[in-house]
Amino acid sequence: MFKKLFLIACLMTSLFAFEKENIQKQMSDNIHQVLNILKDTNITKKDKSEKIITILDKSFDYNIMSMLALGRAWKTISNEQREEFSNVFIKRLKESYIDKLELYNDQKIKIANLKENKSRLILNTILVGKKENYPIDYKFYENRKNNQWYVYDVNILGVSIIQTYRKQFDEYLKEKTIDDLIKYLKEKNLKA
Amino acid sequence: MRKITILFLFLSFFYACNAQNFENSNKDDVAINQFDDISNEFQDSYEDDFDPLSGYNRVMTSFNDGFYVYVSRPVIKTYKDVVPSTARKGVSNFFTNLGFPIRFINNLLQLKFKNSWEELQLFVLNTTFGIAGLINVAEENNFNLRYHDEDFGQTLGYWGVGEGFHIVLPILGPSNLRDTFSLFVDEYASPLKPEDKSFYLTDSTDKSIGLKTFKTVNSTSYTYPVYDKLRKDAIDLYPYLKDFYNKRREEQIKE
Repeated sequence: MFKKLFLIACLMTSLFAFEKENIQKQMSDNIHQVLNILKDTNITKKDKSEKIITILDKSFDYNIMSMLALGRAWKTISNEQREEFSNVFIKRLKESYIDKLELYNDQKIKIANLKENKSRLILNTILVGKKENYPIDYKFYENRKNNQWYVYDVNILGVSIIQTYRKQFDEYLKEKTIDDLIKYLKEKNLKA
Repeated sequence: MRKITILFLFLSFFYACNAQNFENSNKDDVAINQFDDISNEFQDSYEDDFDPLSGYNRVMTSFNDGFYVYVSRPVIKTYKDVVPSTARKGVSNFFTNLGFPIRFINNLLQLKFKNSWEELQLFVLNTTFGIAGLINVAEENNFNLRYHDEDFGQTLGYWGVGEGFHIVLPILGPSNLRDTFSLFVDEYASPLKPEDKSFYLTDSTDKSIGLKTFKTVNSTSYTYPVYDKLRKDAIDLYPYLKDFYNKRREEQIKE
């Protein structure tokens, strides 16, 4: 009986989830919503960012993104440092992502296709620019506990955001401490 | 039995309503479980790369960046503000059309015959009906023809030639041994090379450099905001740009 109950409960959860079959449609909806917000001239830049972030929050797994960006150093730092790093990094990440989207204000976007690569999914999208097309790929992993899919990395022009941060952080931490890095990111956030 | 069913439905409903919260609270430890797994997809540090010119490259990167900020960017911005968009588009079309021999040959060398054929059609159409390439006739009429940008560096990459070490070129920016060598090879197929033959447009180096600068200023008037935004993410500009260049080239070769 309990098993059945659990099963049904699980099935019902999926009504709210980001499932494999829905990824393409839902992401496409999200991206179009984001572009509509960007195009809207009636809202301030700050409101725009907030609205976009609300949409992104549904599908981005920021926790795993901060872990992946910090790489091997993640395991060596304290819980407080982890939390502090995540906070500043996520802020940086969101800002940098929105900043890039602003490039394509008045252009179209095409959702190309969804590829399966081992246990990950990659959604290819193309921003159609005036002179060039800019590919942006969203990479999803399946969360083992609730079987939902989250974005863990974004490739812009074929280059992984997490990868570039990771290499840079790793290099930075060879000479400096995690607290320096947190301080550095904080300053960068203030400037942006 | 009925009671159980009701309880069941009630619980399920309750559970579903809380699904969002449930999922958020669980993200943390799940993430830790799968962290190592996903982590393998990424690399740490820049160290393992063979970079004999790193000292020079660093200096040249800061020179280029300074040159960009204080010289090229203001020029390009002014150009963009002054020259109407239609004119810039025409110039861009014109130079893209001139790049035909390079793309055509390199598509052939990579056995991409369909792409070469498309390039040839575009060249004939745009050169004749598009007034020496000023108008992209195919694009205006929604013909299903598009450019396939290939250079000799990509051709070598296609056939498995490694990139060699990284070289930052003055003003032109990041490159590598293979791509720098390829620049000279592609030059022979470019109508902008200075030589006294009918295939080439100019017979003097000055004119050639002038045209090439014009071409670059015009095309960069479209792309410089991308560089502006990307360089904001850099902690250390040299390795960042180097990595970006390498990844980008890998992608272009794969295409």
